[in-house]
Amino acid sequence: MKVDNSLPLEYSTEENSLKILGFWIFLGAEIMLFATLFASYFTLVNRTGNGPTGAEIFEITPVLIETILLLTSSFTIGLGIHAMRIGNKKATMAFFFITLLLGAGFLGFEIFEFVHYVHVGATLQTSAFTAILLTTLGTHGLHVTFGFFWGLFILLQIKKRGLTRETANKSFIFSLYWHFLDVVWIFIFSFIYLKGMM
Amino acid sequence: MKELFPLKQVMGFVFSLILTAVALLVYFTDMSFSVGMTVLLLTAFIQAGLQLVVFMHAGETNDKKSIYTNIYYGLLIALITIFGTLLTLIWDM
Amino acid sequence: MDFFERFAVPHPSFLIYASMVGIGLTMIAIVIGITYFKKWGYLWSEWLTTVDHKRIGIMYLLSALLMLFRGGVDAIMMRSQLALPDNTLLDSQHYNEIFTTHGVVMILFMAMPFIMFFFNFIVPLQIGARDVAFPRLNAISFWLFFMGMGLFNLSFIIGGSPDAGWTSYFPLAGNEFSSSVGTNYYMIAIQIAGIGTLLTGINFMTTILKMRAPGMTLMKMPMFTWSAFIANVIIVFAFPVLTVALAMGTMDRLFGTNFFTTVNGGMDMLWANLFWVWGHPEVYILILPAFGLYSEIISTFAKRNLYGYKSMVASMVLISLLSFFVWAHHFFTMGQGALTNSIFSITTMAIAVPTGVKIFNWLFTLWKGKIEFTTPMLYSMLFIPLFTLGGVTGVMLAMSAADYQYHNTMFLVAHFHNVIIPGVVYAMLAGLTYYWPKLFGFMLNEKLGKWTAWVLSIGFVLAFIPMYITGLDGQARRMYTYSESTGFGLLNMVSFVGAAIMAVGFVLLVYNIYYSTRYASRDISNDPWDARSLEWATHTPVPEYNFAITPQVNTTQPFWDSKKNGHQLFKGKIEKIHMPNNSGLPFIMGCFFFVFGFAMVFSMWPLVIIGLIGILACLAYRSFEKDHGRYISVEEIEETETKLRGAKQ
Ligand code: HEM
Ligand SMILES: [Cu+2]
Repeated sequence: MKVDNSLPLEYSTEENSLKILGFWIFLGAEIMLFATLFASYFTLVNRTGNGPTGAEIFEITPVLIETILLLTSSFTIGLGIHAMRIGNKKATMAFFFITLLLGAGFLGFEIFEFVHYVHVGATLQTSAFTAILLTTLGTHGLHVTFGFFWGLFILLQIKKRGLTRETANKSFIFSLYWHFLDVVWIFIFSFIYLKGMM
Repeated sequence: MKELFPLKQVMGFVFSLILTAVALLVYFTDMSFSVGMTVLLLTAFIQAGLQLVVFMHAGETNDKKSIYTNIYYGLLIALITIFGTLLTLIWDM
Repeated sequence: MDFFERFAVPHPSFLIYASMVGIGLTMIAIVIGITYFKKWGYLWSEWLTTVDHKRIGIMYLLSALLMLFRGGVDAIMMRSQLALPDNTLLDSQHYNEIFTTHGVVMILFMAMPFIMFFFNFIVPLQIGARDVAFPRLNAISFWLFFMGMGLFNLSFIIGGSPDAGWTSYFPLAGNEFSSSVGTNYYMIAIQIAGIGTLLTGINFMTTILKMRAPGMTLMKMPMFTWSAFIANVIIVFAFPVLTVALAMGTMDRLFGTNFFTTVNGGMDMLWANLFWVWGHPEVYILILPAFGLYSEIISTFAKRNLYGYKSMVASMVLISLLSFFVWAHHFFTMGQGALTNSIFSITTMAIAVPTGVKIFNWLFTLWKGKIEFTTPMLYSMLFIPLFTLGGVTGVMLAMSAADYQYHNTMFLVAHFHNVIIPGVVYAMLAGLTYYWPKLFGFMLNEKLGKWTAWVLSIGFVLAFIPMYITGLDGQARRMYTYSESTGFGLLNMVSFVGAAIMAVGFVLLVYNIYYSTRYASRDISNDPWDARSLEWATHTPVPEYNFAITPQVNTTQPFWDSKKNGHQLFKGKIEKIHMPNNSGLPFIMGCFFFVFGFAMVFSMWPLVIIGLIGILACLAYRSFEKDHGRYISVEEIEETETKLRGAKQ
C-alpha cells in the first residue's frame, strides 16, 4: 500500500484517492437521477387531475425550517471535516453528531409535511402531480435517511477506531454526499416550493 | 475554539443564508414569473457552486480536472434532458 | 391453493410446459453433478466469492452466451411464425411475449454482459493494472446483473412473461392492459441489473482515469480502453434515467400512482420520453466498445498503427455527448411539433458524421497495411460494409417527415438489426475469437471460425434485407401474422431461411468451441496474433496479479515497441503485490436482491421487507468490516513466473 503523508489523511493511500474520485463520479450519476425527477416534475406539475395544485398545499413555514436545518447541517459537516484535518477527534465527532441531529430534525419535519399532504388529500395516488411531488421529495428524503445511518456508522467507527486513514476517508466521502443532498434540496426548495408558491 | 471555525466556511454559510433570503423574496414580494424565475435560477446555481467549491473541496487535488469535467458534463446533460423533455412534451406539443 | 395460483402461467402452452420440465431437469442435473464431483467448495471459493476481474469477466461471458441462446430461440420462433401467411404456430399473446423477451434478453442480458466481459477482462490488462479500482464493487455489479437476469428469465415459467415490447410503452404496459405480473418482472429485473451496470460504469471510469501504467497518458491509451471509457461515461449518465423511469413504472403498477396512466393527469408519453433518453445512449453504449474491438483487431491484422488516433478519440467523445441529444428520433410520430422534430432530426443526422469518420479511419488503416485474414479480421471486414448499410438506413429514419412512413414497420426492424448484428454481435464474436487464446490458452479453429463468419453473414443478409422491402411496403412490426393478400409471404419465407442459416452459424460456433477444446494445440505463445497492446505482454493463463512488474509505457502500442523497437516494458525488480481478498458478501447481497425482486413482482410484502433488510444488513456489515487485503510475496510471484515461463515460449 502506497502511503503519501504529504496529503490529508483521507487521500493518503492510493485506495483512498480512488474512492474519493469514484464517489464524485457517483455524484455525477446522482445529478442525472435528480435531473430525471425534475424533468418529470416540470412535465407533470400542472397535470393535477382532480387533486390539489402545489400552491394549494405548500406551506412556507415547515419548508423554511427544513431548508435552514439542512443548510446548517451542511455547514457543520464541513466544520467536521475541517476538525478532522487538524486532527481533532473530539470536535470531529461533535460536528458529526450535530450534523446527524440536524438531519434527523429535517426528516422529522419532512414526515410532518407528508402527513399534512395526506390530510389535505394529496396522496401518492391522487394525481400525476402529487405522485411526482411525493416521489421527488421522497427520493431526496430517502437519501437523507440513508445518509443518517451511514453517518451514524461512521461516527461509531471514529469513536472506536479513531481518525485513521479509513475512517478519515469514509468521513470525507460522507461529507461529499451530505453536501450534495443539500445542493439537491436547494433546487427542490427553489423550483418546487418557491416556484410553486410564486 | 477559533481554529475550529475557519473564516472561509463561516463566510460560505452566511452567504448561503443570504442567498436563501434573496430567493425567499420571490415568495414575499410580487414579482412577475420571469423575474422570479431569474432570481431563483441565479440564487440556486450560485448556491450550488458555493457548496461545490467551499465545502466540497472539489478543486484541491490533481483529480481536479476529472472532477470538474465530470460535474459539468453531468450538468450539461441534465439540462439537455430537462429542457429537451419540456420542449417535446409541453412547449411544442 | 390461492397462494400458489398467482405463480401459474396465465397463458400456458405445450412449449412452456416443456421448457419448465427442461429447466427443472437441467437444474437438478447441475446440482447433482456439482455434488457428485464435490465441486461446491471450489465453486464457492473460486467463483462465487471471487473479486478477480478476469474471473468476473468469464462469468459475464458465460451469462452472455447462455442468453444468446435463449434470445436466439425466441428469434427462431418468431421467424417461423411469420414464415407463412396466416400461420398458427404461435398465437398473438405468445408472439407478444416472445418479441418482448427477445428484445430485452438480447440487449440487456446478452449484449450488455458481453461488453462487460470485454471491459472486465481486457481493460485492466490493457492499461497495465492489477485489477479494477473497486474489485468488491465489481463483484456486486456482476451479481446484481446476474440476479436481474435470473429474475427476468424466471418470468416465463412463474407468473408469465412480459408482453408489452422491450420498450414497454404505457398505457399498454399499465395494469389495465397488462394485467399479469409479466411487466412487473420487466420493471424490477431490469432495475436490479441496471443498478449493477451503473456501478460498473463508476468502477471503470475510475479505473481508467486513475490506474493506468506509468507513462500511459490519456492520449496514449489503446483504442479499446478509450471506447470502454466513453461507454462507461455514457453508462454513468444514462442509467440513472432508466432507474427513475422504471421506478415510476413500478409504482404505477404496484402502488396505483398515475405517472403514465391516462387518468388523473398521468402522461403516457412521459414514459416513451424517459425510456429513450436512456435508450438511445444505450445503443451507443453497445456500439462503442464494438468499435474499440474492431480498432484493435484491424490494426493488429493490418500490421499498422491505427490511422487517425486523435480523430478516433475525438469522434467518440463527440458521440458520447451527441448520443444524449437525439432521443426524440424514436418517437417522431408522437405528436410534438415540427420544430422539435426538426431539431432532433438534425442532431441525429449529425451523429452519423463522427461515425463516418471512424469508418474512414479503419479504411485508411487497411489501406497500406499487410492484411492478414484471420477470423477476427474477417468479421471486421464483413462489419464495415454491412454496418455502413445500417448507418445509411439510420440516416433515412432520421428524417422526421420520412419517418412517418418507416416508423414501426419492418424497415425499422431491419435498420436496428443491421447495425446491431454486424456492429455489435460480430464485434463480440470477433473479440471472443481474438481473445480466446488469452482466456483459455488455446486458439479456436480458424477454418471453422471463418465458416461461422460467412454462414452468419449469408444468413444475416437473407434474414434482414428483405425486411427493408416489406417494411416499405407496409408490413408493421410486432404483428403476429399477416394475410396472404398482402404479398409479404415470399420475403418472409426468405427471412425465415436466413434466420435458420444464422442458427446454423451459431451452432457452428458452439461446435468450434467444443472441437477446439478437444483438439487445439495447447502449445501457443503468449502472443499468438503478434499483437500490439499490453494485454498480450503477460502470460497465458494470466496470473492473478496480471503483471509481476508494472509495465512502462511511452506510446500507444508499447508491446509492439518492445518487440520491434527495443522499448523496455518491465523495469526494476519484483516487489510484493497487494491484492484484494475474496468475499461472499456480493453474492449474498445479490441473493437478497433476488428475494426482494421476486417478492416485489408478486407483491408479497413481508418477503419484500425481508429482502430489503437483508440488503441493508449487507451494507451495514460492509461499513464496519475491516479488510485490508493481502500481499502476494516476492517468492510466490517468482515461483509463478518461472512456472508460467517454463510452460510457454
Ligand atoms: C448512423 C447512425 C444511426 C442513426 C442515424 C440511427 C437512427 C435511428 C432512428 C431515427 C431510429 C428510430 C426510427 C423509428 O422508430 O421510426 C432508430 C431506431 C433504432 N436504432 Fe438506430 N441509428 C443509428 C445507429 C444505430 C446503432 C449504432 C444502433 C445500435 C447499436 C442503433 C440501434 C437502434 C435501435 C435498437 C432502434 C429501434 C428501437 C425500437 O424502436 O425498438 N442505431 N435509429
Ligand atoms: Cu436512437
